[in-house]
Amino acid sequence: MSDATVLMTATHAGNAKAAEQLLVLVYDELRRLAASKLAHEAPGQTLQATALVHEAWLRLVGDQNRSFSNREHFFRASAEAMRRILIDKARRKHTVRHGGDYQRVDLEGFDLAAPASGDCLLALNEALDKFALEHPVQAELVKLRYFAGLTNEEVSEVMRISVSTVKNYWTFSRAWLLNEIESE
Amino acid sequence: MLKQAANTMNDDTGREIAIFTEAVKVPPQKRRAFLDDACGGDENLRRKVEALLKAHDRIGNFLEEPPSNGAL
Repeated sequence: MSDATVLMTATHAGNAKAAEQLLVLVYDELRRLAASKLAHEAPGQTLQATALVHEAWLRLVGDQNRSFSNREHFFRASAEAMRRILIDKARRKHTVRHGGDYQRVDLEGFDLAAPASGDCLLALNEALDKFALEHPVQAELVKLRYFAGLTNEEVSEVMRISVSTVKNYWTFSRAWLLNEIESE
Repeated sequence: MLKQAANTMNDDTGREIAIFTEAVKVPPQKRRAFLDDACGGDENLRRKVEALLKAHDRIGNFLEEPPSNGAL
């Protein structure tokens, strides 16, 4: 991915052509991240994943102050961008539905496997913010594993920790977040 | 990142994760004894780990599926 690093630098120097080339280079991988993030085989999933990649991409290259030191850094930033996009969308939906004011989220019927509804996603995000204060490393792992859809092996590579540590942290993080969400 | 991990992961946090990680592998009937031993007299730590174990027991597929459909 050293080509990408060079292109990222050029992109941030305002080279539009470099941005285009970079997109081609990382597109497939970003697309895969987005698709794995958006559940299996759901109708309309292809479109959603593509839209998510584009939006994440715009955020990443649109931020002029941003530079990426390497591939790992880039994917961490992508995971964060995708998480924010999903949360923003969930917030907008929530605001529209509740006539503009934020209300307490009703967690009855919280889908344990996939907090699909916007409200559940917001509750999860709130818990994740709290988690990050106490356990920043593990919260980062949740973003990569859950919001960016990376596998244990990929998270291990990006965070430079062993796969067994990834698995232990993941088990811990899920229990912590479920406990937090349910005790709210 | 690792440096940050070392700095931010104070002893309590590290112990909480380590004890929980071990405890989930212990059969339920032996957990109490395991926690007696692992937590010593640290009631606060023990309460935290017990709450996590309870959550773990009903974890199901929590977060194993990516955010889907309704999320967007």
